[in-house]
Amino acid sequence: MPGWQAIYERLKDHNFEIASVAQDTNGGKDAGPWITAAHPTYTALIGEKHLVSKLYNMVNVPTGVWIDEHGKIVRPNEVAFVDDRFKNFSGLDSAPYLNALADWAEKGNQSIYAMSEERLREKLTVNNPDIALAAAEFGLGEHLYKSGHLTEAIPHFKEAQRLNPKSWNYKRQAYALSDAMRDYGTTFMDEVEKAGGSKAYYPPPDLSPAGSPRDKKP
Amino acid sequence: MMKGRLSACAFLLVLWAAPIPAQGRQAKVTIIYDDKASEINAANEEAGHLWITTVDLKRATGFELKPQGVCRDELCFPVPSVRQEGFVRKRSGKTWFNLVAFANLVQQPIAQDEGLRTWYFGLRSDQREGLSSLKAPDFMLPDMSGRLHSLSDFRGKKVLLVTWASW
Repeated sequence: MPGWQAIYERLKDHNFEIASVAQDTNGGKDAGPWITAAHPTYTALIGEKHLVSKLYNMVNVPTGVWIDEHGKIVRPNEVAFVDDRFKNFSGLDSAPYLNALADWAEKGNQSIYAMSEERLREKLTVNNPDIALAAAEFGLGEHLYKSGHLTEAIPHFKEAQRLNPKSWNYKRQAYALSDAMRDYGTTFMDEVEKAGGSKAYYPPPDLSPAGSPRDKKP
Repeated sequence: MMKGRLSACAFLLVLWAAPIPAQGRQAKVTIIYDDKASEINAANEEAGHLWITTVDLKRATGFELKPQGVCRDELCFPVPSVRQEGFVRKRSGKTWFNLVAFANLVQQPIAQDEGLRTWYFGLRSDQREGLSSLKAPDFMLPDMSGRLHSLSDFRGKKVLLVTWASW
């Protein structure tokens, strides 16, 4: 969060806003201390029902989306590190992403990092019936957990994980609400290893120029 | 064979229905619709379908039965006239609506916990397909002080929308 505050201070005069959304089933109770400590002047929101992840088909955190002045997506879901706190694990340097973000804040959709519609469509996750059902199973699990029925919630969290195996959110959030080894027979780090390590967990953002002549309409 | 099964069912139904005429089995259920939970005191769970009164329909989902279909504000879904009886029926002076048939019609996923009689209705196909138009799906969420913000409040600005979590 301090990283977002720093980049916001740097770019806010370019008609630029940051909206961060905490994906925490326990809402402000879990996310609040982090927000309070960061003293954000950007917009820090709480999404205790994972609504943004659901609407945008996001599978991990931090996930960033760029939205232009007209409310149009110009970069789709991607790993969005704005500082190097997790670099040891992720292997990702935040500088290229930050440079791209600054370039877009200054130049708007003329930035080489703003993607053409064609390229965006290639990268967009299509919301198929399994993904939609996974979100419903997860939402049911969250409701049951919050109404004091953790035992009954677990099979629904498992079903969400099965239907949308790409979602790390469904795994990590569920593990955080109980004892992962006892209830799911695994741990977060075991799952990351199974998937192929931190590179699979945090795929680096594609920062190749998006505005090649072939790509952009005159 | 089909006929034999049907008449056996009909016989059982008669036995069952005897103490509670014309209503089938009524139970208390929880419905979560648009992430809002509502307790429904008298619902009928029958063969994987969920019938609730139109009063409960309005309360739990905001949708109402109108001549043009099932509507909420400007949003209206026409009910296929050939399958009308699968959606709406009148019993004991009330109008009942089949929320599962409606969910199937609008391609809305359903997750159900049978033991706790809890039904979760997910995003309809019209809510899910917004993304493919590349228009950023709008939402409204609170900040720490409880003040609500919509993504559309930032129209006219470039926005980095970013998720994170404490876990």
